[in-house]
Amino acid sequence: MKKDRKKRLFGVLLIIGSSCLGIGLILYALNSNLDYFLTPSELKQSDENVVLSSNTRVKLGGMVKKDSFFINENKVNFEVTDFEDSISVIYEGLLPDLFKEGKGIVVLGKYNDGIFYADEVFAKHDENYMPPNLELD
Amino acid sequence: MIGEISHFLAFSSSIVFMACFVLAFFSYSSNTSSISIFVPKIFVLGSLILITSFLLFVYLAIIDDFTMAYIASHSNSNLPIFYKVSSIWSAHEGSLFLWVLIISLWGLFFLIFRNHSTTTFYPQTIGIISLVVACFLLFLLFISSPFERILPFGVPDGADINPILQDPALAIHPPMLYFGYIGFVIPFAFVTAFLLSGRFEQFPIAEIKSFILSTWIFLTIGIALGSWWAYYELGWGGYWFWDPVENVALMPWLAGTALLHTVYVSSRSKNLIAWTIFLSIIAFTLSLFGAFIVRSGIIDSVHSFANDPTRGLYLLGMSAFLVSAPIMLFVKNLSKIFAVNRVKDFSKEFFIGTNNVFFITAVFIIFLGISYPLILEAFSDSRVSVGSPFYNKVFAPLTFITSLFLVFSTYSKWSREIPLIEILKSSASIFALTILSSIVIIYFVNNYEWWLIGGIFFGNLIILRYIALIIDSVISKKYFNQGSALAHIGFALLIVSISLNAALSNERTFSMSVGDEVKFNENTIEFDNISLQKNSNFESLSADFIFSNGEDTFELYPEKRKYFVRGEITTESDISIKPIKDVYITIGEQQSNGKWIVNVQENYFVRLIWISAIIMSLGAVLVIRRKIYV
Repeated sequence: MKKDRKKRLFGVLLIIGSSCLGIGLILYALNSNLDYFLTPSELKQSDENVVLSSNTRVKLGGMVKKDSFFINENKVNFEVTDFEDSISVIYEGLLPDLFKEGKGIVVLGKYNDGIFYADEVFAKHDENYMPPNLELD
Repeated sequence: MIGEISHFLAFSSSIVFMACFVLAFFSYSSNTSSISIFVPKIFVLGSLILITSFLLFVYLAIIDDFTMAYIASHSNSNLPIFYKVSSIWSAHEGSLFLWVLIISLWGLFFLIFRNHSTTTFYPQTIGIISLVVACFLLFLLFISSPFERILPFGVPDGADINPILQDPALAIHPPMLYFGYIGFVIPFAFVTAFLLSGRFEQFPIAEIKSFILSTWIFLTIGIALGSWWAYYELGWGGYWFWDPVENVALMPWLAGTALLHTVYVSSRSKNLIAWTIFLSIIAFTLSLFGAFIVRSGIIDSVHSFANDPTRGLYLLGMSAFLVSAPIMLFVKNLSKIFAVNRVKDFSKEFFIGTNNVFFITAVFIIFLGISYPLILEAFSDSRVSVGSPFYNKVFAPLTFITSLFLVFSTYSKWSREIPLIEILKSSASIFALTILSSIVIIYFVNNYEWWLIGGIFFGNLIILRYIALIIDSVISKKYFNQGSALAHIGFALLIVSISLNAALSNERTFSMSVGDEVKFNENTIEFDNISLQKNSNFESLSADFIFSNGEDTFELYPEKRKYFVRGEITTESDISIKPIKDVYITIGEQQSNGKWIVNVQENYFVRLIWISAIIMSLGAVLVIRRKIYV
């Protein structure tokens, strides 16, 4: 009887321990893999305050600045602006169908030394899409 | 006129379904079997009215009745009939109509195919299904009606269906997925009726096993179809994006997978009954949650319908209403439901139960990924989203542990304790074989990431173990569950193909003008030609690329299309399909210097991912057919 209870206690402790460990690991993974959604001016500010490490993935939302688009060595270059600040983006890959200068865009990638290295570029399927937090005059 | 008839029929069916629900629960208390005889008949009546209403709506879409506001804004007179019909489920209102129809169809299937030998509380089960149909019908009729008219005159041609939806895979994908989602209404209704009956001595779950399996098959195929479509149509060359809307389909799939395993146990050894009840409720709740996420517009996704808070509120309220009673009953009666006999350590039930915990963990992880940004946004200023790295990192180890327990379970016995050390001893030879074969594969792939090593190892482990079981059963002529073996081999192939695809696939972007030649891996790619072509509802820029390597030459024709009616531009990929890899090409913008952006990808084993889903489904079909399950 006593042995059985001991075994049971051990089992319960094992379950509690492993679930705490599991939840801890999951939350850690979640926290280190969040994509922060920022506008160019917010990103520049956070750069000064060193909130983001260079490994944090950021979703940068704004408009593609007029006349900023060019291609250099198979890499696409353009600037994303919120009409206060703008950030240069470098991207290798195919642009989405609705990509246009002067239209809304969201790029996902990493920000390093003033340049945004995009892994993915999204243009919204809605042509009237405006990125959140962006107010036009 | 026909539109009004369709509307009226949908309305009348909602009254019939409500009557059916009330009657079914009247029959609980009054103990008269005379009433319960009527319940299925009334349900059939309601379903027939609803089916007629839907068919009339389909007819309206086929004859281009553009005075119907919904059809006018989602169909076009130039579309082939096939797409005129599928345009019905291309937006919120129409797809909800289909959704309601499918709930009632599942109810009909339940009446037709249920196990007639044992009649326990099936009138009440039907009653609860009626309640679900009625709730969704009220939502359809009063909040998202597809029956509105543009009077006095409709539009001449219709606004057209979104061009990326004009595709055979995407025309079948929603109905498939809906059958998969909503099929969980049967275990949900059945379990709720069981909890309401108050008689817990007997849990006749065996009656609905094949419904759970067929639901799971629909859901598996539905998800695979969506993934296949996204791969060739969206032009990104990926098959899974961990997009919130994909995730809400994966959650009921995971809960359903856990459910079909516990159902097997509960009907065999009377263990894990509480799990089965819990999972039945959860699987359906997750389907409702999926409907809420997709239709409320609360989450930003490529797939979601337009934002409308009223819809979200109604759906949330309805889900809470439907789900709260069974959950409370479950919690209240938990002590009575729990089986007296404890699960023996390291028995088959033990391993299945443990893997259930992992499946629920997986559901929880996805749920966290979806809801965390919403919570954070409500309490702070930061806007975040959870990207694929999180899911990949967490899902890989979870899959590996589950695979290990799966293999251990094949060495265990039903209701009997086998010491772990013995299981380890008897599996030693398979482990040795797996290590050898994995080393060979990983050496050839020449990539030493932890997830690749894990994926190859555990995939191999499952496959080799089942091959050993098959050989064993052929020699000893013993009973062997072939369906289960096939489904699990499919699962293992899925792990292997996902790992290899992630490790080997590569892409490059070129900037080319006509006549240019570039090298990509072993291929030489020549940009031969580009020309403008006119079609009935779009014009396209069609490019011609010649690929040649030492052995063979082939041509691919990626396109950029502009659709006339909506003015939308789409990218059409072209793919050369080989046994081990796809060569995938898309063409982008023309730059100011006249060159075109061209993206070429080599996607390894991507076909095997969908083939694995088909193999898993075939396994489930075998299980249903051989009646092992019933």
